[in-house]
Amino acid sequence: MDGDDRDIPPIPASPAEAHAPRVGVDEWVASVAERREGYSGVLGRARSELERVPRPVFYAAFGVAAALLPAITSDGYIVRVGFDTLLYMLLALGLNITVGYAGLLDLGYVAFYGFGAYGYAMLASPKFGIHWNTLAIVPVVVIATAILGLLVALPSRRLLGDYLAIVTLFFGQLFVAVYTNGERMSLFGLTRSHDVTGGPNGIPNVDNFNVFGGRIGSLQAYYYVALGVFLLVLLVVFLIDTSRTGRAWKSLREDPLAAELMGMPVNRLKLIAFAAGAAVAGLAGTLFAALNTAVFASDFDVPTLIIIYAILILGGAGSIGGVILGALVVNISLEVLRTPGHATWVFYVTILATLLMALRPWRVLALVLGGTVAFGYAAHAIVAAAWPRGVHGSPSVGGWFGSGLSGWELHPSNPRLIGNITFIALVLAVLALTLLSGWKRWAAMIPTLYLAGFVWENRLVVEPSITRLILVGVILIVLMNARPQGLLGTARVEIV
Amino acid sequence: MLKRVGLIATATSVAALAVVASAIARPATVAAASALSCKSGVSIGMLAPITGPVSSIGDDQLHWAEYYFNTWNKTHKLKIKLVQGDTQLQPALASTVSQSFASNSKIMGVIGPAGSDEVQAVGPILRKAGLAFASGSATRVSLTSGAWKGYFFRDVPNDGVQGPTDATFMQTKLGVSSGDSVMIIDDQESYSTGLADIAGQALAGKGVKVDRESVAQTATDFSSLIAKITSTTKVVFLPWQKASEAQLFAQQAKAQGKTAIIFGSDGTFDSSNFTAGNYVSFFAPDVTTLPADAKIVAGFHKAFPGGTSPFGAPNYVLAQMYAAAITTSCKDNKITRAELRKNFAKVSLKSTILGTPIRFTANGDLAGAKFHIFKIVNGKYETVQ
Amino acid sequence: MNWNLFVTELVAGITHGSVYALIALGYSMVYGILKLLNFAHGDIYMVGAFIGFGIVTVFGGAESLSVNVWVLLLVMFLCAMLGGGLLGVLIERFAYRRLRNAPRIAPLITALGVSFFLENAALLLLGGQFQSYDSYGWKGGELWTRGFTLPAGVHVGVAQVIVVAGAVLLMILLTVFVQRTQLGKAMRATSFDREAAAMMGIDVDRVIVATFFIGSALAGAAGVFNGLAYQQVWPYMGFQAGLYAFIAAVVGGIGNLPGAVVGGLVIGLAQSFSIGYISSTFSDAIVFLVLIAVLILRPTGVLGRAAVQKV
Repeated sequence: MDGDDRDIPPIPASPAEAHAPRVGVDEWVASVAERREGYSGVLGRARSELERVPRPVFYAAFGVAAALLPAITSDGYIVRVGFDTLLYMLLALGLNITVGYAGLLDLGYVAFYGFGAYGYAMLASPKFGIHWNTLAIVPVVVIATAILGLLVALPSRRLLGDYLAIVTLFFGQLFVAVYTNGERMSLFGLTRSHDVTGGPNGIPNVDNFNVFGGRIGSLQAYYYVALGVFLLVLLVVFLIDTSRTGRAWKSLREDPLAAELMGMPVNRLKLIAFAAGAAVAGLAGTLFAALNTAVFASDFDVPTLIIIYAILILGGAGSIGGVILGALVVNISLEVLRTPGHATWVFYVTILATLLMALRPWRVLALVLGGTVAFGYAAHAIVAAAWPRGVHGSPSVGGWFGSGLSGWELHPSNPRLIGNITFIALVLAVLALTLLSGWKRWAAMIPTLYLAGFVWENRLVVEPSITRLILVGVILIVLMNARPQGLLGTARVEIV
Repeated sequence: MLKRVGLIATATSVAALAVVASAIARPATVAAASALSCKSGVSIGMLAPITGPVSSIGDDQLHWAEYYFNTWNKTHKLKIKLVQGDTQLQPALASTVSQSFASNSKIMGVIGPAGSDEVQAVGPILRKAGLAFASGSATRVSLTSGAWKGYFFRDVPNDGVQGPTDATFMQTKLGVSSGDSVMIIDDQESYSTGLADIAGQALAGKGVKVDRESVAQTATDFSSLIAKITSTTKVVFLPWQKASEAQLFAQQAKAQGKTAIIFGSDGTFDSSNFTAGNYVSFFAPDVTTLPADAKIVAGFHKAFPGGTSPFGAPNYVLAQMYAAAITTSCKDNKITRAELRKNFAKVSLKSTILGTPIRFTANGDLAGAKFHIFKIVNGKYETVQ
Repeated sequence: MNWNLFVTELVAGITHGSVYALIALGYSMVYGILKLLNFAHGDIYMVGAFIGFGIVTVFGGAESLSVNVWVLLLVMFLCAMLGGGLLGVLIERFAYRRLRNAPRIAPLITALGVSFFLENAALLLLGGQFQSYDSYGWKGGELWTRGFTLPAGVHVGVAQVIVVAGAVLLMILLTVFVQRTQLGKAMRATSFDREAAAMMGIDVDRVIVATFFIGSALAGAAGVFNGLAYQQVWPYMGFQAGLYAFIAAVVGGIGNLPGAVVGGLVIGLAQSFSIGYISSTFSDAIVFLVLIAVLILRPTGVLGRAAVQKV
């Protein structure tokens, strides 16, 4: 919002008008100008070079890099996180068809995932005593999920935008409700009640994948299966993306009415997009069930849906590369932040590096950093003299960094209450920071930075599980505000 | 400007993540078999729904275990660290977290997971990693039926003990006989449905009419269900995990003028929360009322303000048992997962804050599990059986 | 026919429906103006409920209130509405404003981020335990023992009356405000066509801030109503309530204020009657079926206008 902001197109010039509807501004022209501007400098040139490389090269490079992971490490946890990430990529890729290409807001997507997983579990477990071959189950489940997708889409095809979102959202809720309570199902009270889904106890002891008599049991093997499946689906999606159907979907997304007027079979396109997305989710479900060897309805509830959406939108809806990047960012940050030690490093490094790169000129940077350090030592000295219990504890990280911190940061002996108060103060301070400008901002930054360190050490690090989710929330807010189109998405013009 | 800061922050955090991720991607030794020197401290993993819809339970479980180890570390040279693993009560998430515990060579044993479904999901992973896992709230009967013998333990009695005890009490003492009806309401998770099934079968076998209902665990409006309590309904049985919900149910029932006896399971056993009902069953006296425990409870509330739930204290005892087993294992200054597992199975505590001695059977169940029944009189729990 | 059951379900449905309707109003107002599905709205309701709980604690706790119940209620509502409203304004200013011209789905994800942040910050600050208003204990439970008896012997407590009457009062005030005042008219104009309103000299920013303030204040009030009738508050209470309010808004026709009220009541009644008469286990499923049926018969909701697509 400052005068020096290069990202906002030249009109409107005055800060007050920046948020008003841009009457008379051609947004497309503005966005082209913005992009051209972005290509200046060394980074810009590198970027335009990168854009010249055909996209499949990137996908292949990703495939090779991903295939090397189990070779680098034998750590089961890392391979497991890799598998989870691939599964999320696959799910986001499917959602990309429905949301990214066709522009249909499908909030019941996770139900298709669950349907696929339960489908596999029912056909390959002692639950009903059925143990089919995997090569038979997967096509059956995928087709069944696609049909379910069609059935959901059929009544919804008349619905516009957000009404579709709500119907699908509740389809998802319906799925969870039915599967959680499916241990006493009867046909409208007419028949005796049967245990269909295992209810809250789910379906345990599901078979592993079983191909040509060989059982796939190890985590590594599943990782490769997931990678193979993902690359295969990626190829298909890439081909569809550039096909007639893909172009038709995108025109449907941009303007359904215009698409219809151009003679496109709008309804059929919607149905296909829905079914295709559902089929991919069903496929992902079979992988999930076979690795976990147990399925529970609570795995297919809203939290999972939110993660898939965050991946797709953060990466950039409509972009295959965005799906890959989004899944890496979201899932790996969720996992890394789980461990307090790692989270602490990420926290400090992010703040420091952001300051290093964002603060110009150099003397301001030096002033802010030096000021923060000095502020900390001064505060520490004052508190140590006035209130010894305020410096009682010790920092969460060890080593040289920790010993440096211990003289700088305050560590009250019972930090719970004061940590809570300063947490609120920190949130308000950060919000205030975004409103200030010029030297006031630099000045305000010093205590805010110190406060951030204090809150982190005294409150956030003590509750890593909660902190992790708070940070995910912050990441979502900051990232969407910084790049509304997602990391690799292309800016679209909203037609008003 | 802000937009640029946001982008840079994002880019650098991604870079930082990548650096940290690659730093932890070291070639791991086979954590399951390696011995750890006790000097650097021993870690215990904690699988609990710390965030998410049942954080009220997970939060409490975590804090009780944390509280024990914090107290322990103040007075012992051998340090025990509790590593948090948030499952959000999602079995798939619990699996990933278990995998991280399995790969962490410092973790020697696991407390949790909370739900029976989660135990099902993580069992294979933890077993393969050679880790003991002990739950303070997973009560489904079949969990100790053999698949994870020597690996899985619990210090709470299973549903197969409680269900029949409660059903018998209803018939012998509360005068429920053939022709009467009993309303059983589960809260749609595995503890509750399991217990409701068992109690329901026991009653139905005696000719009692069982009206089986269910509500979501997050529900706060029971008036619609309460309206279904009729004059022939003698008892309403609430096998719930949340005492405060049961309290609410009882209050709403009273406000609607219903007189059926309200009977809570061990999940509702909390004399500071569930006082409006009539009977409650539990496998031990109340942790918050035993005079000997008053100090511990006061200390806990000082460290972690707020209420507590019946499923919290068993985790304190599990932490205590782990500490005992670690002490035994560390006599030679070395510890392995297998060693801890064996020693853990043998721990026998003469007195615990649960009010009963605690040790495990060969299957990992609580030995000598017995249920007491309490009558609630003016907000106080009185033992009647 | 069991009239007692019928009337009880009716009362339960209306009480619960009133709370839904209040939340749905805010949802609908914001949607009407920004076309934004504000997933954080339910969490504002949670914050409102906690503010009310804080007030009860400040005044000595449920068992030993130091003030008259009516004074307490007044303070609770004022604080919760003010707190909720300010929170809504903050969220709009710092999370949504920059995204006003962004693709529709970007603010949706931001809203999820805000919701994550609020829920977990509340968990961090307040702990995961359930807290109870325990209005049954206020001054010997006069809010529940007093009241009146409907035909078929159904007792209605004062607390329930307060919830329904309070909700109705707020709705009437809102209607008067939107219909009669200048700002209300500006709101309607903005929701009809933001750009055109801006060209007519309406300060759109101010209108949006006002909308967020009022909508969020209603959610804050709903939080207190909920605490009064159903006692429990905890950090994740907003999500489920937000979801139901969302359906309520859609059933009534999203962006349509009387529709939100009708939708709230429909959802509340559908819920209580399906528990009473069909199946408590599948009551949620039945509510969803009602929703889908309504939308298929009337794709724009019960009171929604037929959507005119602008080309």
